[in-house]
Amino acid sequence: MFKKVGLQEGVTLYIRKSEQFKTVNFSVKWKTALDEKKAAHRAVLANVLEDSNGRYQTQTEFRNALDELYGTVLYTDAGKRAETHIVSLSAECVNDEYISEGGVLDEVLSLIQTVIFDPNIKDGKFDDTVVTREKRSVKDRIRSVYDDKTRYAQKRMLELLRPDSAASASSYGTEKDVEALTSADLFAAYESMINDDEIDIYVVGDIDENEMTEKIKSLFTFNPRTVQNRQPVVQQTAKQTTDIKHVLEKQDMKQGKLHLGFSTPVTFGHPDYAKMQVTNGVFGGFAHSKLFMNVREKESMAYYASSSYSSHYGLLYVMAGIDAELEEKAVNLIKEQLSELQAGEITDLEIEQTQALLANGIKSAFDSARGQIEVFDQYKELDENFTADSIISGWEAVTKEDIRKMASEITLEIVYLLSGKGAN
Amino acid sequence: MKKIQFDNLQETLYNETLDNGLDVYILPKRGFSKTFVTFTTKYGSIDRTFIPRGKNEEVTVPDGIAHFLEHKMFEKEDGDVFQKFSVNGASANAFTSFTRTAYLFSATDKLYDNTEILLDFVQEPYFTEKTVDKEKGIIAQEITMYDDQPDWRLYFGTIENMFHEHPVKIDIAGTVASIQDITADHLYECYETFYHPSNMVLFAVGAVDPAEMMAFIKKNQDAKTFDEPAEIIRSFPTEADTAAKTDRNLVMDVSKPKLNIGMKCNKTDIEGEEMLIQELSAGLVLDILFGRSSEFFTESYNEGLIDESFSYDFTMENGFGFAMVGSDTDQPVELETAIRKTIRDAVENWPITDVELNRMRKKKIGQFMRSLNSPEFIANQFTRYTFNNMNLFDVIPTFEKLTLENLKDAFNTFCDESGHTVYSIVPAVKAK
Repeated sequence: MFKKVGLQEGVTLYIRKSEQFKTVNFSVKWKTALDEKKAAHRAVLANVLEDSNGRYQTQTEFRNALDELYGTVLYTDAGKRAETHIVSLSAECVNDEYISEGGVLDEVLSLIQTVIFDPNIKDGKFDDTVVTREKRSVKDRIRSVYDDKTRYAQKRMLELLRPDSAASASSYGTEKDVEALTSADLFAAYESMINDDEIDIYVVGDIDENEMTEKIKSLFTFNPRTVQNRQPVVQQTAKQTTDIKHVLEKQDMKQGKLHLGFSTPVTFGHPDYAKMQVTNGVFGGFAHSKLFMNVREKESMAYYASSSYSSHYGLLYVMAGIDAELEEKAVNLIKEQLSELQAGEITDLEIEQTQALLANGIKSAFDSARGQIEVFDQYKELDENFTADSIISGWEAVTKEDIRKMASEITLEIVYLLSGKGAN
Repeated sequence: MKKIQFDNLQETLYNETLDNGLDVYILPKRGFSKTFVTFTTKYGSIDRTFIPRGKNEEVTVPDGIAHFLEHKMFEKEDGDVFQKFSVNGASANAFTSFTRTAYLFSATDKLYDNTEILLDFVQEPYFTEKTVDKEKGIIAQEITMYDDQPDWRLYFGTIENMFHEHPVKIDIAGTVASIQDITADHLYECYETFYHPSNMVLFAVGAVDPAEMMAFIKKNQDAKTFDEPAEIIRSFPTEADTAAKTDRNLVMDVSKPKLNIGMKCNKTDIEGEEMLIQELSAGLVLDILFGRSSEFFTESYNEGLIDESFSYDFTMENGFGFAMVGSDTDQPVELETAIRKTIRDAVENWPITDVELNRMRKKKIGQFMRSLNSPEFIANQFTRYTFNNMNLFDVIPTFEKLTLENLKDAFNTFCDESGHTVYSIVPAVKAK
């Protein structure tokens, strides 16, 4: 779906002409081995690059310029996938054909070039005021997870389940690492990101592919770099004991946030990957799934009860918002649903519904430019020539017996409950 | 079937009002695989006092009933509607707002089967005491979930502060106590009053053939019998322009205090072009005064009064409206002062010139173009606009003709301090 153009060793352009959208989307992704300290540095760097640059030295000037370009959106973010940390710079502007004055697209390209190659640096360092302010912002962002009880419970569950690993690491690092960051560290992080990272550049929109490729080649003058194969996730095999960790934590709150962590040897790219996706769908991925139908509809115990498959880390999670007093009943009910799968108590209807909704999900994802970029960026690691149809046929081949086998490779490791139970 | 072309946007909209009163809109989008279909009634949480269809006396129903009804539409004698959508690969959902209840699906296959499911399940109510009681546990957990969300509490606390009587101050889902009073009879009474096709809009956008889709919907509707359309008589209390409460806070288990300022709009009995001009103007004013390129934002962000959670918004429907500005903050007192000062300064010395207006106008036009990539945005917003006698596709021409006078007028509807209020969430450890 994307045309691939090597710009330099380790720097690749993926470009797609599409008349589907009224805007042109850009995304530049810097990828490196995940390390929490490095993540902290890069999260702050991402913020600093979004704030200002050599051409527009204050946030106000920069934002005014973007407003003038018909509200062009330009932002950075930090994320992770498996053992890889990813900083992305995204921009989206209205296609010139929809506005009276032309030249917006070229100006946006030039701005992206400025953000990347001409940062707001004086005497070899970033402006201290900006750095201090953006350190504060990233710390606030890390801390604010506490206020979102579902996210907080999920974070705690992961920390307990897989401490000191990529699975539980924050893509923004820790508050401590952010605090310790100096201006010199930040400059080093910038240099290493620009010169050493693997870089993927995406462009989607109603553009001339050749013309855009030439412009990017001449504007984005990255040096060649050697990209080491980053380590695949080493799946910690589940302890072969029946010991299930059980953790109860308190906050002053009303609902009980029940999060269960399961492990599986089947990860992204494993030959059984498609089978595990369907298994998760039958278990709790949708509104027809066993968890929704039983925990919510049959027992009226929850408003949400679902499972999700974190394939990059070989983990599967179940989450439900319940009355904390009913924890034991809910946990038993969830376990029962998994036991049913393991016993092959699965109807053809459940499988068909799951296959149909997985297919709908991936086809719908391609209906947004962001979706095209994100799905492609992930699946290209398996096969650069994949299509929605090739993925869908993988799901359609999954049988009841496959699901039964997959379910028997799912092991409960932790039950975590965050609630106000007994709190004052 | 009417065909309306928007040349500048390269979009064509098809519309027909069916014999039973249902307004159908279809917008094909090139290149899309999915079709997004919404079926919406002009009935939301604020419609709690009305004369039921076929009766003469006004009734007031329990809080949270429109939302409860939305939940219960999905359960039928032969099971759960989600199951049927899933078989056809459709992802279905619904939501209830202050003024609307929408049922929707998104599908890349079997468009007509899914459209039929949507039309039929919304037009065939099935409520029993047993199924109604069963739902109470689920909705109680939904309410409890919102109770633990500090940002929702902040938003709703601010609304409660602003309004004396208007039912917008009642939480859309009601309370765990109020939903206990809901019966199957209540649901039927609300359903009969508000779900007549003449009070509803169907919007389909995406990979859809307009003529075929229209014919399919018509055939489905023609095969059903409906009562004659009747005017719906809703009743709303008189609402003063002042804020009901000036300052309240709530202690919660949060890491940082949250502060929100609500500014009540005093001109809300409007619709159509007048409403469109007012709400677009108000949005522009807030962007200029509080947006990322504003003096307020720059100073407050530099001084640490606001962080990445900072947001502002203007909301309006016929009968109520308000602006909100708020953020997580370690300095709630200073932030409150800074927001109030920005408004007061603008009252005393109007800071907006053509330079700011023209820049923001461009920004808003671009933002709107970007939104048109989203079938969800188009369907939901178009329906909301229609219910207020506005047209979504008038947004760009209206932005193009807005004047400084329009901005000033819109600002004047919410700048009076007697309509202002502050609500804050205070971390437990820092509570007095």
